[in-house]
Amino acid sequence: MRTMSSVLAHKPTRVILVAAVAIVLIVAPLILPAFTNQTLVRIGVYAVAVLGLNIVMGYTGQVNLGQIFFVGLGAYVTAYGVNADWNIILVFIAACVVPGLVGLLVALAAARLGGLAIAMVTIALPIVGVPLAKRLDGFTGGSQGISARFTDAPDWSGLYNDQWQYYIVLVVTVAAFLLGRNLVRGKYGRAFTVVRENEAVAASMGISPYRTKVLAFTVASIFGGASGFLYLAAVQYTSPETLSFGHSIGLLAAMVIGGAGSIIGALIGGAYYVFVPQLTNAIDPNLTTISQGAILLAVLFLLPQGLVSLPRVIRRLTRRGTARATPGNPPHNSPVHQPATEAAREGLEKTERQDRS
Amino acid sequence: MGTFIQLVVDGLSTGSIYAALALAIVLVNQATGLINFAQGGMAVLSAYIAYAFTQLGLPLILAILVAVVVSFLIGAVIERFLVRRFEGGDAHTAVVVTIGLLTLVTGISAVFWGYNNLPFESLFPLTGVEIFGAVVSVRSIATTVTILAIMGVLQVLFLRTKLGLALRAVADNPGSAAFSGLPVGRLLMVGWGLAAVLGAIAGVLVAPQLTLTPGMLDTALVYALAAVILGGLSSPIGCVVAAWAIGVLENLVAVYVPLVGHDLKIAVPFVLIFVILVIRPQGLFGRKVVVRV
Repeated sequence: MRTMSSVLAHKPTRVILVAAVAIVLIVAPLILPAFTNQTLVRIGVYAVAVLGLNIVMGYTGQVNLGQIFFVGLGAYVTAYGVNADWNIILVFIAACVVPGLVGLLVALAAARLGGLAIAMVTIALPIVGVPLAKRLDGFTGGSQGISARFTDAPDWSGLYNDQWQYYIVLVVTVAAFLLGRNLVRGKYGRAFTVVRENEAVAASMGISPYRTKVLAFTVASIFGGASGFLYLAAVQYTSPETLSFGHSIGLLAAMVIGGAGSIIGALIGGAYYVFVPQLTNAIDPNLTTISQGAILLAVLFLLPQGLVSLPRVIRRLTRRGTARATPGNPPHNSPVHQPATEAAREGLEKTERQDRS
Repeated sequence: MGTFIQLVVDGLSTGSIYAALALAIVLVNQATGLINFAQGGMAVLSAYIAYAFTQLGLPLILAILVAVVVSFLIGAVIERFLVRRFEGGDAHTAVVVTIGLLTLVTGISAVFWGYNNLPFESLFPLTGVEIFGAVVSVRSIATTVTILAIMGVLQVLFLRTKLGLALRAVADNPGSAAFSGLPVGRLLMVGWGLAAVLGAIAGVLVAPQLTLTPGMLDTALVYALAAVILGGLSSPIGCVVAAWAIGVLENLVAVYVPLVGHDLKIAVPFVLIFVILVIRPQGLFGRKVVVRV
């Protein structure tokens, strides 16, 4: 039986698959109803933010609780630029560069402490960000918020607004995911992983943990800013509420639930971020927070690698099931006898605890 | 001069609340090596539990005592059934677990009591007393005194009792503690329980001022974390001092620096952290940790 990955390894098949996906993505908005398009657009918006979070957290192991701050910053910069009649390309660049610079500044201080300090410092970003956005009302419109329309479909295109927005978001999202994928697969991606696994080892290999962490955080902030640009393209309005603490936690949950340290996981995370509140709001708005916490904890317990690992886990379970069903056949397919691994893991955890000082 | 003294005393009282949360965070960190971001959410839940018992007709002080006991149990249960699985593993996963816990606990508060602000009776009268020409509320002074008393109790518990000795041993080196025959797991549960109790006290002290909402202590948690960073994770006294300093400083800045004002004063501790981290990366009172490959 050929597995999914071996199919993907086959080059012509992969090219055909990518082409098919591309065609579906390009044709889809022309057929789908406006509401579905808007949902897809929002998935793209948040997938980019989650991708950035994944680079700093999933790959580099720096817990970042303030990603929404950079999304909000990008959105505000976009709104400002659009209302000041800047060229839209310039607006996009500014929406990436400004959050990037702020992220660089934050990381320069926070990465000095290492470990959990980045988490403790970044938790302040959305909590300081909301009153800051209210205060700077000349720039942000205060608690009223600020709106900016720049994504109405031009006449020559013959498209509806939702379709035009879809294409804008599609282009930026695909570009962001290609960039992100190349980044984590290349030299810097390996440095990220080494720093996450063991900073001392990284340092002894000549990788500066400090610089790597600052780099990852800055890149994440740039992706956050790009996501903010897309947010404004889709929603055309932003207010201090956009960068609230709860949303930041939501992004973190989305990243973990999608799959930390996985590019596809970021996409799943974006979809989770959009769909689950829609679902719980339809049942009972009071359930949104509690379900988010419960789902996050359940995923951490049952699927520590996130939803992206679900096919792998199911395959393992079904394989074990068939092996058991045929008793004469030794289960050479299943990795190790399960109770033994369980016991070994228990033992390992215990020794690990004892080793800690 | 009057305003100044008033600001300082009020700052000490709010700082005391941050200090209680910060102590809880340090307690958990010292025992398990992780930062409990749910500490604020758990404290809010404790305050809601106290509120529920007052609604049942219990006198406030009894309701608070019941809430404290229940909080201890909740903390212990959370350690046993949720956190233990992630202790000693990847620190970042453990942080995400406590974030999930924060979301869950906040959600539980919201489901039972809703998002509307609920009034919470104050343990102390709001009447003022005059000190050096400043009118300072009894509540401010009593809050500070309460936290001081709790610090004293904790100090006695840790330094003068067998339980305290055992807790310190587990915190210092769980492995050696286990070899000496200490029930490490049970002691960790006690540690979490005590941290939850500290949170509960912070919760009921701050609830009359802020009124009860599920997100009531999100901001206070941020201050507590700032105090923890400034004071250093290994120093309980350091973080209490830092919490007081933050409380006083933010009050003074809010009034005397109009540019910052009341709404932006939460940025004050973080600017402070920025400056201090550049000079002393291990925190004001923290020790430098040497890593071996």
